[in-house]
Amino acid sequence: MKGALALWLSGCLLLSGCSGLPTAREMGDMALMRTMGVDRGADGVEVTASTGPRAKGLQAEGEKALVLSARADSLSAACLSMQGHSDSYVFYGYVDQLLVGEELAREGIKPVLDYFARDEELGLGAQLWLMRSGTARQAVESGGETGVDGRLSTMQLDGKLGEASMSRTAGEVYTDLMERGAAFVPALVTGELEDATLTEGGYGIIKGERLVGYLEGEAARGLELLLGRAPAEVLTVQLEGNRVSARVNMANTTVGLEIQEERPTKLQIKCRADVGVTEYEQELSRAQQQALSNQLKGKLMDRLEGALAALRQWQADCAGLGLKGAAFHPQLWKEIREQWPMWFRMLELDIQLQVMIHD
Amino acid sequence: MPLKKPAQQPHPRREPRFDRPLSLESVKEIFSGCVDFMERTVYLNGDRQRTVTVCYLLGMTRNERLSDYILRPLAQDRSLSQAPEGELFSLLQYGALYNLAAIRRDTLDDVVNDLLLGSCALFFPGRMDVLTLPVPTEEKRGVGEPENEPALKGSRESFVESIRTNTAMVRRKLKAPQLKIKEHIVGRQSRTQVDVLYLEDMADPETVKQVEEKLGEIDIDGLEAAGNLEEYMADTSRSPFPLMAYTQRPDRLCQGLLEGRVALLADGIPLGWMVPGTIDQFFKTGQDRAYHWMVASALSLVRYFCALITVLLPGLYIALVTFHPEAIPPKLALSIVAAKQEVPFSTIFEVLIMLLAFEVIQEAGLRLPSPIGATVSILGGLVVGNAAVEAHIVSPTVLIAVAIAGVAGYTQPSQDFGNALRLWRFLLAILSSVGGLFGLSLGCAGLIYHLARLESFGVPYLAPFTTGTKMPRGHPSLLRLPLPKMKWRDGAVHSKNRRNQR
Repeated sequence: MKGALALWLSGCLLLSGCSGLPTAREMGDMALMRTMGVDRGADGVEVTASTGPRAKGLQAEGEKALVLSARADSLSAACLSMQGHSDSYVFYGYVDQLLVGEELAREGIKPVLDYFARDEELGLGAQLWLMRSGTARQAVESGGETGVDGRLSTMQLDGKLGEASMSRTAGEVYTDLMERGAAFVPALVTGELEDATLTEGGYGIIKGERLVGYLEGEAARGLELLLGRAPAEVLTVQLEGNRVSARVNMANTTVGLEIQEERPTKLQIKCRADVGVTEYEQELSRAQQQALSNQLKGKLMDRLEGALAALRQWQADCAGLGLKGAAFHPQLWKEIREQWPMWFRMLELDIQLQVMIHD
Repeated sequence: MPLKKPAQQPHPRREPRFDRPLSLESVKEIFSGCVDFMERTVYLNGDRQRTVTVCYLLGMTRNERLSDYILRPLAQDRSLSQAPEGELFSLLQYGALYNLAAIRRDTLDDVVNDLLLGSCALFFPGRMDVLTLPVPTEEKRGVGEPENEPALKGSRESFVESIRTNTAMVRRKLKAPQLKIKEHIVGRQSRTQVDVLYLEDMADPETVKQVEEKLGEIDIDGLEAAGNLEEYMADTSRSPFPLMAYTQRPDRLCQGLLEGRVALLADGIPLGWMVPGTIDQFFKTGQDRAYHWMVASALSLVRYFCALITVLLPGLYIALVTFHPEAIPPKLALSIVAAKQEVPFSTIFEVLIMLLAFEVIQEAGLRLPSPIGATVSILGGLVVGNAAVEAHIVSPTVLIAVAIAGVAGYTQPSQDFGNALRLWRFLLAILSSVGGLFGLSLGCAGLIYHLARLESFGVPYLAPFTTGTKMPRGHPSLLRLPLPKMKWRDGAVHSKNRRNQR
């Protein structure tokens, strides 16, 4: 009897709303935002969000992507004010592409990541992109009726498959910033091709919480090698009477610190690249293979050195070389961790590159 | 002392039922107004000085046997007219009649009971005892196929309404003198025979004792439905879950006996029950041992998975769509949004109404003759369902979710267990509509708590998945291992002899 009474009272409390239980919302009345762009606004931030392609009814008739934009002095205020701009409930739980404008990134990206980490609908699982030479709003709006979500998803998937630049989630970037003090974010530029709205623009390097510069071209590929990832490019080498194209299929990079008198003296980087020949005019002789190996080694070394030079200049170890190198010296790492950016800039480099060619 | 109201008066149980001397007149008085009561006085070998009165209930006895084995010898056997008067009774009891059995009765209760069971009674003038001879009719439904538990690879025998046929089917499969069959009579008016079957060297004596005690305690007017036995044998009043597994198949009942369980058979009900009931029994089929162990294991896992689907899916759908849409994969979410836009009802209302509609269609299909039932199912399920979706009354995703949950429920081998899951499905859907995943989790915790509290004849209902009995388990319950490796009987059953093979 007492149990039944307790159950009845609990039911009354729950049903009358005195429960703190989540609120019910109908999905039919929701606008599911897929892409969000954040820029520096005139008096705070400017947020642009897009639903991506939508469907309506049983036959899934296509509807235009809904693009909303709002300016406010804070990100949360801008997101809230967007609720009033739509007939539907604006739901941010499906935002999986986050674009940050360059101007805002130079001022500081951390508040945006903080907001994504703490908001109950948003999360750090969204892919983070940096808009280079343009605003996030332009990028979001460039998707037109179908939205930019599809293009970004494709680039993300290509990045995972090694066919494009690496993609990164907001959570990965946030973690790197907290652990390493630096992070890299894939950058995008507005493309010139009609069917490609956005194209890769290298990697933006965040130091502390601000954008300090970009790695592009060979330096960007060098960063990928430093991270032990095969760069998404085909290298063309002109041998004697034979033009050969090759691609790095697999890369493996290990990092070590040479230590003398309990102080690091040298940063050792050993990189092994497995290269596959993709095209050639004539079958490679043994001598040509050796020549190819040497030329590829030179090219890849240039990439590695280019990336390291830029990163050392910015004192931004976004590849986590210090942390990896000191993996077997935890006590030493504890002592030098705070000054690692300075050590990273000053330490002598020892780069060993091994190229293995497979037909 | 004031008289109690009729509702408060105890059930009028009387022992003996007929408290008067045994005589032909008493029997005639008891059966007065019974058109099927027959009596015939027979001259023994034509001797008018020696008579015997034969009484029987028409339709309960087999006429040919009565005529050939009893009436013919009474009328024609010369020894009956020549034997001394005092030896006549013994002569008839021990030899002159061709019937298989002849029993001397000296109480009115016994004689009345024998007559009701299909015996004929011989009344001798001047004697206070009676000879009863069982000549019951064998009119019964033939042994058919088990419609509820069809077999593709195995015996096609099914229990019938006659308890003796059923015990014979069990005995034919277990030709062991250790198979004990004890008879109890249940029901004051129905006087239904209920047999307790067990293998003496395997079954737990305590369970046998409990079963017999509970049978003895049943004091009802009649046992005409399975519930009359189930609800009195196991306390099911607070739980929709069945605590006694039942089967139509003699081979499955025998398997239960070989596992050390105690079986029950009731006259008039073509089912056999096995106790103690543990949850794994309701996921097993008679075919599990017929298929290859890998196939049987996979099917077993499918059944467990389907039980989860049928009980959780509607609640999970409500919780995700209404409270936690971010947990739905984006493409699915877009489809749900698109389909839901023109539906005027809330998701909660939609799901609950569809669940109810599903039950209505199922109930309508069951109550009607099978050709019409199939039509109702097609009309209700396909035509109305499709029309409702096209008219934007329900969204297709809700229809799919409810249909999957419903169909998944049909994979349950036990109809009773499936019914219990259906009830809990409603409860979990309501809890989900109040508190989303929190409510659903609360409901699941409640379900596990409820199941963990259940016991069947002293054995925890969840025994195969718990250590409540502190007995080692025989083998995994989710999977069916290769039979040569299943060397042990389940510990929870408290079998006397746990090893089942070399």
